[in-house]
Amino acid sequence: MEMAGQKEKDVTEQKQPEERKKRRTATEAASRVGSMTKAALSEVLQAKAEGIPIAYTFICCGYDEIVRAMGIVPHWVENYAGICGARRDAQRFLERAGVENLSRSLCTYALCGLGFDAWREELGEMPPDASWGGQVRPDVMLGSGQILCDPRNKWFQAAQHYMPDVPVYDLGLPWPPYEDDYDYREVQDYYIKYIVEQLRGLVEFLEKHTKRKMDWDKLSELIDLSDRTWNMIWEAYELRRAVPTPMGTGDAMNTMSPLNFMMGTQQAYDFFKDLYDELQQKIAKKEGVVENEKYRLLWGGGLPAWFALNDFNYFNSKGAVFPVETTYRMVEAIYNFDIDLSKITDPLEHIAWRWLKFWTFWYDKARKRPGSHPDVEHLIQYIEDYKIDGVVMHEAFSCRTWHVGLIWQLDLLKKVYRDIPSLILESDIIDISSYNEVDTRARIDAFIDTLEAAKIRG
Amino acid sequence: MSVESNAGELAAIDKLYQDYSSRARELKKQGKKIIGYTCAFVPLEIITAAGFIPFRIKGDVNEPITKADTIMETIVCPRIRSCLDLSMKGNYDFLDGIVIPHACDSICRTYDIWKYTLALPYSHFINMPHGTDDSSLRFYKAILNTFRKSLGEFAGHEISDAGLIEAIKLYNQNRVAVRQLYELRKQDPPLVSGAEVTEILVAGMGIPVEESTEHMEKIINEVQQRTDRPEKKQARLMIVGAELDDVAFIRLIEDTGASVVVDDLCPGTRENLPMVDITDDPLDGIAERYLRKVHCAKTYFEQIGTYQEYLDDRFGHIKRAINDFKVDGVILYIYKYCDPFGFEVPAMKSYIELTDVPVLYLEDEYSMSTIARLRTRIQAFLEMISSR
Repeated sequence: MEMAGQKEKDVTEQKQPEERKKRRTATEAASRVGSMTKAALSEVLQAKAEGIPIAYTFICCGYDEIVRAMGIVPHWVENYAGICGARRDAQRFLERAGVENLSRSLCTYALCGLGFDAWREELGEMPPDASWGGQVRPDVMLGSGQILCDPRNKWFQAAQHYMPDVPVYDLGLPWPPYEDDYDYREVQDYYIKYIVEQLRGLVEFLEKHTKRKMDWDKLSELIDLSDRTWNMIWEAYELRRAVPTPMGTGDAMNTMSPLNFMMGTQQAYDFFKDLYDELQQKIAKKEGVVENEKYRLLWGGGLPAWFALNDFNYFNSKGAVFPVETTYRMVEAIYNFDIDLSKITDPLEHIAWRWLKFWTFWYDKARKRPGSHPDVEHLIQYIEDYKIDGVVMHEAFSCRTWHVGLIWQLDLLKKVYRDIPSLILESDIIDISSYNEVDTRARIDAFIDTLEAAKIRG
Repeated sequence: MSVESNAGELAAIDKLYQDYSSRARELKKQGKKIIGYTCAFVPLEIITAAGFIPFRIKGDVNEPITKADTIMETIVCPRIRSCLDLSMKGNYDFLDGIVIPHACDSICRTYDIWKYTLALPYSHFINMPHGTDDSSLRFYKAILNTFRKSLGEFAGHEISDAGLIEAIKLYNQNRVAVRQLYELRKQDPPLVSGAEVTEILVAGMGIPVEESTEHMEKIINEVQQRTDRPEKKQARLMIVGAELDDVAFIRLIEDTGASVVVDDLCPGTRENLPMVDITDDPLDGIAERYLRKVHCAKTYFEQIGTYQEYLDDRFGHIKRAINDFKVDGVILYIYKYCDPFGFEVPAMKSYIELTDVPVLYLEDEYSMSTIARLRTRIQAFLEMISSR
């Protein structure tokens, strides 16, 4: 007990959340996201108080509609860690994770979440001054085994050390890799079969552990709603091709919240419809992110440093805008897939096909350009569609998922396409100790000089 | 080829360990095709049945990583960085292909970098699931069939069931020999040191399986007559971690005053002991072995029963090894940026400590530059064990 008390003292003595000036957004829609996200977290707290089952969930796991159709409330753990990071309140939870012998080199979202959970379980209540009410104790935790990210199948298993009574389901969600020796269509059927079996297993797991029954009609309705939302997002984001661009990546790091944490809700659809309308109006008025748009940049990879989103404004102050990003754009237009999803009657199979077609979407394009790769083809398409002058990426040290392969992608881009100015920033998603504002901005300044020189060269 | 017997098998193995790719180069000159791979989750039986020589790409703690850092981020497992670095420097320029499994992020997220950087005639990603339930097993078998077909096309002939069964038998013989080798470590002092076993297993990763077995069988006979057996030391330790393909760390511990008597490592008990059952369709036995019998942190075993029973499923083999090998202390040796094993530490450490055996958790960087720091930690750990 003495040890535990000491731990608590050590961590609470850390600096409290630093009050940050609100970041300037280009769109009214993006400025609304903070309050929407806060309200969504309040709903989780309210649901917990009312005894409604809560599931710990990850973004991009294909189960959004399943959870919602069963009346289970998702708590998005990465979202909460990101909020702690954006409010500069993550350090005390990262340090608590360190006390638990979790290496600081691991995913800092996970460390923040695990540090929070360990602390909450020890206290029997939320840690002091928890951001936006805190992270509730879940009834189930839904992990995922993909090619994407180890923490998705390790985080919740590790969380059971502090919550041994909370069951975990690990959902197998693979997609075929891009290979030279076969086309993904040769294997897609057995991938679909497996994903459907895994999703069916998830429904059984949730029915068993939450006593909620699946409402299959509702599931189909929500899937249809999500499909329409995917299309709406795609259409709204495509409007950003306009010169000057009406919305930048800084705003997209806000709008990622309804995209990733509210999928399968009318609220998400309405939000992107509003965004679509707003962007059209801005285009009609030729209203850009900045008054004098000089450089159009692609955010070509990496999650943002949530505590340093003002860096996007810094880019803007130099006349640089980001009309497009690959990060968090986890949708394609459903009608661009080479399969008519509306003809699939089994909702789980529908989810499986949408999943597989999303991840293989760029394969055919890559096949047509010798030596190319889908990730690079994605960059090329955006460079051309959005009239891009340079590529910026961010390497977050704690995440291998999105941050390994950035150097190689730029190298390959140069080989198969053309040399284009590029910059890789370095820090982390939420660990502010990795960030140096002076150094970052000096690198941005130097990059702006490079862009200018490239423009002069023509 | 028959293994030469001269100054002793341990000396022969040491030579192979020191010049790790020498035998593969010889075989290449003889017209054999060599397929590189990176992890215990590549089913070697399929490569062997295709007529190729599997060759595990290893790193080198003595070689500074330079070239790899020009194309791959430094936030990757340092061992994998070292492996790519050596590959880019030409150490493995005899490879005809590379096979990479869906193991950890550091391995699977770098597949494209390997593929494009080395530009080998053959490459394949084995998309192994994390789960071990029946649907995952069926899916994994389909994945293996895709690999079998693809590799067969590269070989220019189909990989037959008979060829697979023959390969399974070869690898199972090797696994039996490894088990016998480990039995020799139960004595106090052990008949064979931890450093010697690591050298034997690492050297075995770079030569054909039948040669590795032959070496091991001779060593097992040789060490039972040896007069220079390892000395009795102040503690018997177990090492738990991901992949250890260099003897430096084990040697450091043994030079500091302890015997390393058992492990949960690759290569080591995790990788080299589980057998393949010979089944009607040989891929069934192979799939079962690689998906369910290799207890790696990357594999997600479903919880059946209570949480305590779940911990027994995940870590019970460590507890059994502690008892069987009379272990005085356990070192969790985890590389920086290792997500699968890094997240295991709190639960695993607590579980082992409940057996009343002390645990030292070390995070390392796969470099000789950390040896002094590690020595200090190990010395303190051994003093703590002695004072119990």
